[in-house]
Amino acid sequence: MKVIVIGGGWSVCSAAISAAKAGAEVEIFEKTDMLLGLGNVGGIMRNNGRYTASQELINLGAGDLINITDEYSRHKNIDFPGHKHAWLYDVNKIEPVVRRHLKEMGIKLNMISRIIDVEKYKDEIIGIFNSQGEFFKGDAFIETTGSTGPMGNCLRYGNGCSMCILRCPAFGPRVSLSSRAGIADLQGERDEDVYGAFSGSCKLCKESIDENIIKELEEKGVVVLKVPEEDVNLDKLKAKVCQQYALKEFAENIVLLDTGHVKLMTSYYPLEKLRKIKGLESVKYIDPYAGGKGNSIRYLSVAPRTDDMRVKGMNNLFCAGEKSGLFVGHTEAIATGAIAGHNSVRNYLGITTLVLPKTTVVGDLIFYANEKMKSKMGRRNRYTFAGAEYFKRMQELGLYSTDDEEIKRRIEKLNLINVLDQKLI
Amino acid sequence: MDYEFKDCSDAGSEYCPCHLADSGECILCSQLSGKVFCDCINWKGVCIYNEYTLNANKANKMRESCQCKIIKKELLEDNLVLFTFKVPHKLAGELVYPGSFIFLRNPKTVEYYDTPISIMEADSELNTLKVAIEKRGIKSKTLFKMEEGENISIKAPYWNGILGLKNVYNAKQGTVVVVCRGIGIAPSIPAIKKLHSNGNRIIVILDRNPFNSEFGEEYLKDYGAELYKCSTLNQGSLSEEFKKLLTNILSTESINLIHCDGPDILIYELLNFIDGGIKFSCCNNAKMCCGEGICGTCSTRYKKHVVKRLCKMQVEPKYIFKGRRLI
Repeated sequence: MKVIVIGGGWSVCSAAISAAKAGAEVEIFEKTDMLLGLGNVGGIMRNNGRYTASQELINLGAGDLINITDEYSRHKNIDFPGHKHAWLYDVNKIEPVVRRHLKEMGIKLNMISRIIDVEKYKDEIIGIFNSQGEFFKGDAFIETTGSTGPMGNCLRYGNGCSMCILRCPAFGPRVSLSSRAGIADLQGERDEDVYGAFSGSCKLCKESIDENIIKELEEKGVVVLKVPEEDVNLDKLKAKVCQQYALKEFAENIVLLDTGHVKLMTSYYPLEKLRKIKGLESVKYIDPYAGGKGNSIRYLSVAPRTDDMRVKGMNNLFCAGEKSGLFVGHTEAIATGAIAGHNSVRNYLGITTLVLPKTTVVGDLIFYANEKMKSKMGRRNRYTFAGAEYFKRMQELGLYSTDDEEIKRRIEKLNLINVLDQKLI
Repeated sequence: MDYEFKDCSDAGSEYCPCHLADSGECILCSQLSGKVFCDCINWKGVCIYNEYTLNANKANKMRESCQCKIIKKELLEDNLVLFTFKVPHKLAGELVYPGSFIFLRNPKTVEYYDTPISIMEADSELNTLKVAIEKRGIKSKTLFKMEEGENISIKAPYWNGILGLKNVYNAKQGTVVVVCRGIGIAPSIPAIKKLHSNGNRIIVILDRNPFNSEFGEEYLKDYGAELYKCSTLNQGSLSEEFKKLLTNILSTESINLIHCDGPDILIYELLNFIDGGIKFSCCNNAKMCCGEGICGTCSTRYKKHVVKRLCKMQVEPKYIFKGRRLI
């Protein structure tokens, strides 16, 4: 049985791993020359409710990628405004490690291979076409092409291409395959009838920042700098994808995190204004290169799906990551990817697909984001274990925990220990 | 499994975005053809929507005519003439590619006389263009009357004179068969030049009909082409002689491209004869008037209300005729 996974981000890697664990032959098709996509400029793990989700994934048997990000963390258990016990993986070291892990599992990687269309028969995908017109057949397909960009979308719904890590002008734009299969995409909104939201952070070049700031940053993992009063702009918070970071503190301060690069926790910030801040007089952006002007636009192509991560209206097409809902973050991508990969095999074998119970945070997030997608107000929010509406829900339902044993006991009680590590074929 | 790509020979050039983008009819960009989200299945390396926006939501300027001197006229037969023009260096450089063509007109006539003519040779050292013209109708007869030393009006550059152009570029270090008939010898020369520079061995099947002169043959010698002369058509079908010759070549050689410069009936019959399996390219025989996708002369209609503006749309040859509506 062959599972084809399209995309290259965290959710792709996770879906490929769980499909391979279930016994499928797995091939990944990614348009750029690197895996992890936006994960190459991310880095924040285990903050707030993501801790619970990470431990759940480990106990469910889908902890491979969590273990890697843990191992390659530059900082562990740091706090910054609104966030507790964050771990920051090194964005400059993580990609080759993940790539090696996938290869060791026998997963075939097709890099610089942009998929542009599908061939279907009734409600089944038969195969996919790459931009060279080559055709690849498969038994199950997982679309994890994300919802960010390409540059025409970033232009119509944002400030234009800001030259982000996705590198659309270099490797070509993503194509929504569920849409090519005839299933209309849904969109997230950032304001009344304004589609999409800006990515929430930029990366600054370490060498361009005052050495005392860098010293503090490397020691503590986080530095908070005051924004000059005349430049505080609370309005920009609502444009942001990452509502968990859309707090007043993030408008009044510049929050810097050490992920290998210096992660600036704002969507974009005019360079001239940024250079008014003490210690940043000579600063320059390295992601997106035009971080002074804008950032990538996300949530423009979310596929309608069921809670087992199958695209509604298609029998053998699954989705994960941002493609599957208004999710934010690596942990959310890894969680949804793991379920999609596993279920693609179950579905092929005719076994009942796995829908995680709502007493797990992963199951509840998948359910809750889907419910919220149905309403206009719901489409204006984003769903993450790390903050905003969903973290509040986690706390209210008593799902948030940092007690490893307690989280393990919950999964044991549900008889789901290592369920995603089962060989099905 | 086949996939029909569409491409635009103008995309990414200084003539893009064009008036098609301006009117929501862009061949490549979904955002400039009625959709509100990107759907870049035919991406060519530039975001045309971005170019359009940065250009203050306007099309770029269209090609303009320039007056160029006729430096040589060679009347080879009553109905066949070769012209050589002196042109600006930029224009000569833009027309060295296979599939390049220009619109020619006597400056004393109105724009309806603009005649699409393939480039036979563009020399960017001497800044000259050479074309071959067959006397056929009103426009070509007017061009025949032009003499050395006179100025001719040239509107250029245009590039969509070959369909399946990427197959020409992708054919490397192999053996190719070029089939040309009549005036088709002229546009085959830049294609043969490219195929030769890509390390291919070139077999040319040449059907001179309706001409007698050996025009173009000196180029074939330069590119080391193996030449077979035979009649290709017999009463609207491939001649037995041609079929036998081609079958023999295909059975003894490993052919990586067949390129055909001839009338549509020859291209159509040849496509049916080889029935897929070999990469194919051919000259673009669409009728053209403005070359900008505006006038509708080159528009061909297909099943499911598809319209292809062949003056600038690149298609694989097999999709020129497949599903085409004739009425």
